[in-house]
Amino acid sequence: MKEEFGAYVRNKREMLRDSSAEYTVRKVAAKIGIQPSYISKVERCEVAPPSEETIVRLAEVLREDPDILLALAGKVSADLRQVILKRPKLFADLIRQLKDAPDNALLRVVREVRDGKW
Amino acid sequence: MIELRNDSLVFSFPEVHPSATVSIEFQRSLRIPDDDKDYPLPPGLGRFPLRHVDDFADRVASSWIRHGGVMLPMYQSEAMWLNFHAEYDDERRTYYPFAIKIATGKINAVSGRAWADGIQRRPRQDYVVVPEQPWLDGYCVGKGIIRQFVAMPLGAGYTAEEQITGKAEHGGLQIMAFPMKREAFEKRFPRCPRREREVMYSMVRECAPCASDMGLAPGGRMKQEIYHDKYALPDWDLDHGSRCFVHIANSMVWRQITGSNPPTTPPTSAEYTRAGLPWFLWYDDKNSTLQGSETLATMKSVATLGKKMKDVPLPENQSVSAESIITLRRGLTKDQVRETQIPARRRGSYAHDIATRQTDRSPRGAD
Repeated sequence: MKEEFGAYVRNKREMLRDSSAEYTVRKVAAKIGIQPSYISKVERCEVAPPSEETIVRLAEVLREDPDILLALAGKVSADLRQVILKRPKLFADLIRQLKDAPDNALLRVVREVRDGKW
Repeated sequence: MIELRNDSLVFSFPEVHPSATVSIEFQRSLRIPDDDKDYPLPPGLGRFPLRHVDDFADRVASSWIRHGGVMLPMYQSEAMWLNFHAEYDDERRTYYPFAIKIATGKINAVSGRAWADGIQRRPRQDYVVVPEQPWLDGYCVGKGIIRQFVAMPLGAGYTAEEQITGKAEHGGLQIMAFPMKREAFEKRFPRCPRREREVMYSMVRECAPCASDMGLAPGGRMKQEIYHDKYALPDWDLDHGSRCFVHIANSMVWRQITGSNPPTTPPTSAEYTRAGLPWFLWYDDKNSTLQGSETLATMKSVATLGKKMKDVPLPENQSVSAESIITLRRGLTKDQVRETQIPARRRGSYAHDIATRQTDRSPRGAD
C-alpha cells in the first residue's frame, strides 16, 4: 500500500514538474508545510503514508482528488467514515455487492420510487 | 424504473429503448373560479415538492407505506396540473411516445372508470399520449373542456372518488406510463439524415406547492383538449409499464411529517389577473379531441356541492375576465411569432415575483 501511494505521488509530482518548476520536492513541501526530506521518504516508500490532513493538503497541491490519494494510502476521509458508521452493515453490503459493477453502473446509484400494493 | 429527480417523477425504460424516458412534474397553479364559465389555462407557479414516503416511514400513515410511492403538499386554495416531458431522440428527431394513465382516488381522470392496470380504448380511451398531450389540468368532462384538479380533504364528499364510488378509500393520484414498443417506434420514426438540428419552440407554460388524506376534486371549467391516440393499440409496450402512487398531504400534515414548510400559498385568480399576468390557450389542429366522459360529467364541482352542503369550501371564488392570453400552437417554427394579446403590463411587486418565471420559448434541444 505505501508502495502504491509513494509511487503515485512521485509520478504525479514529476508529471507536473515537467511543465512547471513549482513542483520540485522543495516547493511542494513548502506549500504543504512539511520537510522536503519527509516527502522524499514518502515517495521512496521508506515511511508510511502521512496523516489524512497532510494527504488532503498534498492532493490540493498536486491537483489530485483527495479520495483517490486517501484510498491509495489505505484511509477513508472522516466524513465518509461518519456516513458509513451510521449504517455500517448496509454500506458494507452495498459496497460488496457493487464491487464488480462496471464503471457506468457505479457512476450513478439510482434510487427508485417504490411501488407497493394498491 | 421510476426515479424522483428535481421534484419530478422520471419514468425510464432503458430495456425498451435508450430514449424511452418521460418525466412528469406536478405544477402548482391558481384555482380558476368555479362559476361554470370556461377559462383558459392558468400558469404554473413551480413544482410541488415531492418526497419518497419511505423517507418518513415512522411519520406517515401505514397505508401510505403499503402503497409506496411519493407525497406532495397541497393547500385547498391551490390547484394542480401535470406537465409531461418525453425525451427527445436526436437520431429520429422526435420525442419518444408514451401512453400515460392518470387517476385520482383510483378513478381515471380521462374515462371516469375505476383504475385497472393496462390501457383501454373501448368503450373509451382511458389514457393520454405524450408528447401530443403536453399537460393535463383536470377531469375530461366535455369535448375540449376539463374540470380543474383541486385539493379537498378525503371524506368530506367532494373528491371525484367519493362522488363516483360513494367511498373515501384511496385519495391521492395514481399514474402509470407505458412506452411505445421499440419496433413500432423505429418503424414509425426512421433515422433522419444528419443535418443541422432545427430549433423548435418548447411548449412551456408559464411556470411562475397523517394521516389526514387529501384527494383531488373537480374545480372550475377550463378549455383543454385531450387528444385521441393516433397510434395503433399494439404499438404500446404493455409488458413494460411503471406505476406510482402520489399521496397528497395538507400543509399542516406536511409540516408534521417532514418538518419543513410547504411552498407559500398561491395567488387567487383575481389577484393574478389584476396583476395583468397571462393565461394560456393551446391549439393543436393536427390531433383530434376526445369527447368528455359521461361519468366524469356527472360530477358536481366543489362550489356546487358546497352550496348543496351549505359549506363554503372556496372563500375566494369571484369570476375573473382573463384578458391577457398567450396562444400557443403545435408545430411553431423558429420564425413564427408567438401570438399574444397582452395589454400594457402593470408591474407591481407581486407581478415581478411571478414575471421572473415568464413563458420562455427555449429551443427543444436545450430541454
